[in-house]
Amino acid sequence: MKQKLALLLFLATGALLLAGKVLVVKVMRSNLLAKPDFLSGSLTPIQQGAKLELIETQGNWYLVRNATGLKGYIHQTAVAESKTSLSGIIPGKKGASQEELALAAKGFNEGNEKKLRGSKGYNFSDVDWVMDWDITNAALAAFIREGKLK
Amino acid sequence: MKKLLLICLCFFLLSWKPPINLSKLSKAKKALELVSGAAHKISEEEEYYIGRAVAANILSQYPLWKNSEATRYLNLIGKVLALKSARPEIFAGYHFSLLDSDEANAFSAPGGIIFLTRGIVDMTENEDELAAILAHEIQHVAAKDPLKAIKSQRMKALGTFAAGEAIGSSSQVLNIFQDSIMDISGTLLQKGYSRKQEKNADLGAIELLKATGYDTRALLAMLQKVKAVEKKKAKAFSAHPSASKRIAYVEKQLDPGSIKGSSSRLARFKRFVSRHRN
Repeated sequence: MKQKLALLLFLATGALLLAGKVLVVKVMRSNLLAKPDFLSGSLTPIQQGAKLELIETQGNWYLVRNATGLKGYIHQTAVAESKTSLSGIIPGKKGASQEELALAAKGFNEGNEKKLRGSKGYNFSDVDWVMDWDITNAALAAFIREGKLK
Repeated sequence: MKKLLLICLCFFLLSWKPPINLSKLSKAKKALELVSGAAHKISEEEEYYIGRAVAANILSQYPLWKNSEATRYLNLIGKVLALKSARPEIFAGYHFSLLDSDEANAFSAPGGIIFLTRGIVDMTENEDELAAILAHEIQHVAAKDPLKAIKSQRMKALGTFAAGEAIGSSSQVLNIFQDSIMDISGTLLQKGYSRKQEKNADLGAIELLKATGYDTRALLAMLQKVKAVEKKKAKAFSAHPSASKRIAYVEKQLDPGSIKGSSSRLARFKRFVSRHRN
């Protein structure tokens, strides 16, 4: 019994340490998912810069809570740990992560691409055609099923 | 019991960090970078813009084959594989396209823009072989191999600009941007990756094929075809190490009981081929 209590205390301490960690979405767009699986349903789309409160880690996935209180899963490669406080998750309040994101984009950015557009040796209009391709999760799931893939 | 409580207390104390002034820390870090000339660390967003520019450069040399159905099929295979990679989420997602060229080649730009020539697609006999080529290229993106082609002096210069907030000298930054693009394009189109990078991409591709349910022996089959072509055409896979060397280490990694391609995969590949070769 004592050992069980100690284990519960240990787990509670770990949960307390995790709570309060804020993650910031570093990809252009992603989804808050119902399960730790890319093909599970999307609860809501999320954009670059959105802040998420870390609740729990499950392998390569994080269980998180967004600004509206919605809980869901996101893959660890879609987010970075934010240095901002938990209060930064409140809409309207700017945290340090936004400044960091702005700084990070100062090197190679859209502005430099605009300067190259039209230059000899760059065909950006065809790049736009390539980047316009989007495959829905439903189409991907059907493709996997049909091809007996995993 | 006491021991466990003590462990909990130690765990808590070791993990607790005192509150710090982030703005002071950030300024101190910038000052340190200015003095030391620390290399600029490329963010996901920057990788995306570098990748777009590299892709634009490739597309100025190779015409894009704008076949919607064939491109969609390629994107479906590629995205299935990418989801099982070490970097399933990248800034704008993975994108796969076909280049209208008889040359047998494949290129991966930073940020997950992957090109296959019609020449290499012509060499495939089933979806699993197509997947093997894509898996190899995805592994390069996941390992950020294209970015590693940028000369370190450019990142050091950019690091110094950023630390000194002298980023306003836009022409210098634009020059670094263009030079970095040329570093990557040069590696993709002519110089090629190192043997170690190629080996890692091959071995990683086997894992990706296995994880998604494709036949891992498809990679070996493709390499054997490349070996045969290498003898005839010098330009085929010119940016890759010789196929014989790759076959040797790939063979060692394959499971004897690999999965055979399914009939449904073969049927949809045939539909793709009928569009591709007509």
